[in-house]
Amino acid sequence: MESVRFNFPAPESDESVEELRKEVRVFLEDEVRSGGFVPVTDCWCAGVDPEFSRKLGQKGWIGVTWPRQYGGRELSALHRYVITEELLVAGAPVHAHWIADRQSGPLILATGTEDMKRNILPRIAAGECFVALGLSEPESGSDLASVRTRAFKVEGGWEITGTKLWSSGAQHCQYMTVLARTGERDPNKRHAGLTQFLVPLDSPGVTVRGIPDMSGVEHFNESHFENVFVPDDAVLGSVGEGWKQITSELALERSGPERFLSTFVALEKALQRSAADMNGHQATVVGSIVARIRALRTMSLGVAALLGQGYSPEVEAALVKDLGTRLEQDIIERLREFWPVQMKQGYGDELQYLMSDSLLRQPSFTLRGGTNEVLKGIIARGIGLR
Amino acid sequence: MGFDMEQTDQLILDTAHRLFTDQCDAEIVNCAERGKTPERLRQAILESGLTLAWVPEEAGGVGGSLALGFNLIRQAASFALPAPLADTLVANLLLAESGLAVTDRWAALAFDGGELPALLQGEVNGVVDAAVGAPESAVVVVPVLEKGVVKIATFAPSTIDIEHHENLAGEARSRITLDSAIPGQLSGPVDGMTADGLKQFCAFVRACQIAGALEKIADLTVGYVKERQQFGRPLGKFQAVQHMVADIAGETALTGAAVEQAMRRVSAHPEPFIGDCELLFPLATAKVVASEAAGRVTRVAHQAHGAMGFSFEYPLQQYSRRVWGWREEFGSEFSWSERLGMAIASEISSLGAGEAAGCAWDVVSR
Repeated sequence: MESVRFNFPAPESDESVEELRKEVRVFLEDEVRSGGFVPVTDCWCAGVDPEFSRKLGQKGWIGVTWPRQYGGRELSALHRYVITEELLVAGAPVHAHWIADRQSGPLILATGTEDMKRNILPRIAAGECFVALGLSEPESGSDLASVRTRAFKVEGGWEITGTKLWSSGAQHCQYMTVLARTGERDPNKRHAGLTQFLVPLDSPGVTVRGIPDMSGVEHFNESHFENVFVPDDAVLGSVGEGWKQITSELALERSGPERFLSTFVALEKALQRSAADMNGHQATVVGSIVARIRALRTMSLGVAALLGQGYSPEVEAALVKDLGTRLEQDIIERLREFWPVQMKQGYGDELQYLMSDSLLRQPSFTLRGGTNEVLKGIIARGIGLR
Repeated sequence: MGFDMEQTDQLILDTAHRLFTDQCDAEIVNCAERGKTPERLRQAILESGLTLAWVPEEAGGVGGSLALGFNLIRQAASFALPAPLADTLVANLLLAESGLAVTDRWAALAFDGGELPALLQGEVNGVVDAAVGAPESAVVVVPVLEKGVVKIATFAPSTIDIEHHENLAGEARSRITLDSAIPGQLSGPVDGMTADGLKQFCAFVRACQIAGALEKIADLTVGYVKERQQFGRPLGKFQAVQHMVADIAGETALTGAAVEQAMRRVSAHPEPFIGDCELLFPLATAKVVASEAAGRVTRVAHQAHGAMGFSFEYPLQQYSRRVWGWREEFGSEFSWSERLGMAIASEISSLGAGEAAGCAWDVVSR
């Protein structure tokens, strides 16, 4: 008989973690009070503020797990976790550096040249260098292995031609990690022949055009590469390792607090509004949502603990993202019973603004970073059905 | 599994697993519901001392940790164990906590989360609608209230009015009526125990049971869709079915995580029956998540099983009927959600407007 069992161990914590949490909270409260930022929903995607990212870098809250010689602080995954969850629930504008901190930096650490590490990582940690993801294309979304962007070998390097789509934030970034085909297409080995390059976005031949999304935000873009030259040492890892690199980081990318806390800021505001005279019916809806958030957080922390122990809990991470992103949507769908959502920007009312923005952005939650349908396939495979 | 568990705890859990595997199968469970009492199984459990897992050694028990007992309860549920092990464990724990003599036979727990019977001048009056384990019990354990203070009383089954009923799964749930009843044993006030704290504890026991049952339901479903073939291939090869199984896995994992987190918290608390905020949050979370998951998982599992899952003979129904009953007991997801929501609102509104910002997250993440 099969056994469907998952393990979510509690990460080992110490005083320094709670100290750090308090520090971050105090900073954020001060920032809000002094008008440093206005809380936004889905802030890790919709909140762009390079100056704010730089402030966080100065505080030493970016790249915290990296080696000190590259600008990091060699803190634990749990330290990074509490920083990120506090930023998320405060609705802080962290998009500019989010990708670089979460995955591009670790990718460079794992696969970059010594030059890359010394030149780029400290700047990311300082909140001054941002990186976008060049993965999806017009013809390649969920089926990422079908990308058509090609990199041709030339003297001293490669020439890249193709178009990347979505690649959030490229307008503000200095670099993009570009997944390109370097080997011949083989239907029996779909994942072979793919390579990732670290491409400076000010290279000749690069054009970035913003694409507004349905919530009015314009961080999506179309990035076109026309014979863009990069030197040999722009290859991340080795030629042909692209697919392996992308899949190896999935457990980390998919299981973090940004997969269930994107709309918490709306819930928080609603609770402040209604706490004084909450009725039983509202309490029931709130309690049900909160119970689920708490349980998801336990799962998410469990994945962080497993990653820290050296495991690669791909299925557990997929579970967190599948459940969490649907909850992010459900929060608005359930709260609207008490706070109907009709008006864009809600006549300046903060709760209305957070609710309506959340609603307009919610279709993206279950699509980005691997659609929930793809995730369910990963879960099913992990259980032995595929 | 296994936080706060000593090595000896794990041995006990393994022993129990072997016992259940050897002596409790789907047929035994169905027969038990049809009136054929599983004597051998029940005797084996009593002889193994499992019902005394939560009783300290000096009181004649096994001296296992709280975590051991909860894991045992979860495991027993995954076998649909036709014996009141969970409730006898709780009953014996209450007896030990209150300084009364424990029992090495079955105990009935006459507490269903409702109002406690009242103790006045040595006599107990009240009704418990859904006591567990009464038919085979040697002693009936009743938490009672005397002027707001919780005490534990025991009665011999023959001396009180017991009306036998069954829950949705055919498990005994008896209505016990106490009419100026004089207890066989009566404890003094039990330190650190409130009626609400007791209810939270028992709700959590049900959450552990639901977690065990959902894991079994998930296992049954995966096994079934791998085996059953239609249209030339196993059901599990269809994407729609794969997604259904992924949904079951998600709700089951979420329930397990909530239960384990609560287990860690209650194990670390000096007064597990006090029902303070430290306990309310994790215990209510576990019961809400488990009870919500019960409905979702059973719906999908039955759908994946087709007509076979609807039959009495196939074991799925033993688990779905159990979780449908357990999700209601000691408070459903609705009542515990309301408690949680009100508790959060109360904390937020007790702060000044300036400090309230961020309070919800502070409470949620505690």
